[in-house]
Amino acid sequence: MNAGQKSARRIAASNGHLPRDTICTSCRHRLSHQPRRHAATAAAAAEEQLPPPPQQAMQHIPPVTAKAPAKAYRLLASPVLSRPPLLTRELTSFEKAYYLYQKRLNERLAQPFSRYFYYKKGTPGDVEWKRKAKARQTAARDIGVYNAYGREGWNDEVLYGDQTAEPENQVDALIRDAEGKNIVDDQPVGDADKDGEAVTGDATVGEGQRRELQKIEVERPMPRMTEADRANDVRSLSRKLDRSLYLLVKNKEGRWRFPEDRVYGRENLHQAAERILIQSCGINMNTWIVGNHPVGHHAYTYALPILSKLAANKLVPTSAAARRGEEGEEREEFGEKAFFMKARIMAGQADVSKNEYGHSEFQWLAKEEVKKAVTPGYWSSVRNMLAER
Amino acid sequence: MNAPSMALLRAFSPVWRAESLPWVARGCQWQQKAPFSSTEQRMAKKGRGEKKDMRITLIRYHLQHPLTPRPLRFSRNRALRHWTIHRAWRLYQTQLRLNRQLELERQYNSMAAACEALRLTDNHGLTAEDRMKLGGGGGAGDEAAAAGAEGREMGRLYRIAMLKDGVWEGAPIEYARIQTESPPREGWNHAWTR
Repeated sequence: MNAGQKSARRIAASNGHLPRDTICTSCRHRLSHQPRRHAATAAAAAEEQLPPPPQQAMQHIPPVTAKAPAKAYRLLASPVLSRPPLLTRELTSFEKAYYLYQKRLNERLAQPFSRYFYYKKGTPGDVEWKRKAKARQTAARDIGVYNAYGREGWNDEVLYGDQTAEPENQVDALIRDAEGKNIVDDQPVGDADKDGEAVTGDATVGEGQRRELQKIEVERPMPRMTEADRANDVRSLSRKLDRSLYLLVKNKEGRWRFPEDRVYGRENLHQAAERILIQSCGINMNTWIVGNHPVGHHAYTYALPILSKLAANKLVPTSAAARRGEEGEEREEFGEKAFFMKARIMAGQADVSKNEYGHSEFQWLAKEEVKKAVTPGYWSSVRNMLAER
Repeated sequence: MNAPSMALLRAFSPVWRAESLPWVARGCQWQQKAPFSSTEQRMAKKGRGEKKDMRITLIRYHLQHPLTPRPLRFSRNRALRHWTIHRAWRLYQTQLRLNRQLELERQYNSMAAACEALRLTDNHGLTAEDRMKLGGGGGAGDEAAAAGAEGREMGRLYRIAMLKDGVWEGAPIEYARIQTESPPREGWNHAWTR
């Protein structure tokens, strides 16, 4: 800090707004505002203010020849690889009931189905519509049998325990309709009701089945509950399709953690996360590291400091180049700081058979299962960054 | 020496003013001759208009119905029940929204705390506070670290992490997949290889 700046500061400090004629406009603007300080250097600047600056002291002291290992914390990057939910969530019973209620109210308010706008008179489509409408009484297929224009139009609420609102039943009704059947089973019109005239040769089989000329098979949607769900296969990614699953690995000490490793050389967290995913769980995963910044961190102090020698990583060129300097030296590590990077998996599966960290197993777990698997301390630093669903 | 400019004189003196009307009002001087209509004249004459498309006529016909608009009439009990259902739904939605918001807040706070921790660490993983706690006497490496801590090594990872260049460049198209009600037919693609 030279004398000129000092005097300028004094001018700035003496009175809040500077008189116009003492300095030029740009200088006035700069002085009257707080000097801009980069956020990254704020801590360093704060450090500078408290103790006397160490630079001068260091210049006088000759360099120490006997090298003690530098004190450090182990700096870890840890990709939190998650599989996003593929399915929408299960509806609660209230939501199901409410949606059906609203659909039926809409049926009461909407104008009636204008049949001749959609079907020309006398066409097969018109005939089919007439047949279906007789059974279900309305155009909508997912609200059960309800006619908003009939005498029972007021009775739009379903009774307690009614299954019409269940999504499975609605899917079923849609499929029946697509296959050309009625959405509800007709009263069986078997041979018994036809005055003994043999229509189908079976007393119980209805007329609908008799008139079925060609069978239309409509593909049913896959069940939401998969085989992996039933077997509770924690290594499968087809499990819990409506939840986020997180990849956990069992490390050398037998603890379940997110995959993690030291940040080597000059690499940054994003590169480190990509590298760790490859080195721990193989290359056969289509992954994406979402951002450059961490989404959470975990600090842990060891009971006893660990003396460790920094080695180079073969995937990080800067770590090999820096080996003669900073890398390769010994460090006394008092603890570790892990920074979690959010990552997504799009396809593929983890494979720990060729990993370089001594991981023995992996699991894909939902949030509440992660809680059971990891240690309480780890969980408390991890829980806030994990999504509920 | 230049002749004095006439610009000011022209603006204020009535002698120099050439036109009395502003240019925007200049159009008002002439009588409006064209009829005020946006359609052609022959369309206004009887029976000469363009024939409407039959489909448009049909749609307009079917949009009308003698039974609409329909009043929704509720009995007293039914109206009360409806009101209760409505209130319950609003409460439920509020609860869902609050939960979602709280979750986002938690995630944001976790992210901010992590970034703050990253900002304060140097390449040895130590903050200034840690350094004070662990004490001096570490040796040469420690001094180098202390020098580095105040230089560019302090918060290096943080500075890189804050860069937003090309954040969306690697965003895969699969990320745009929306959630569905039923799973894909062949399940998760476990056999994907690079």
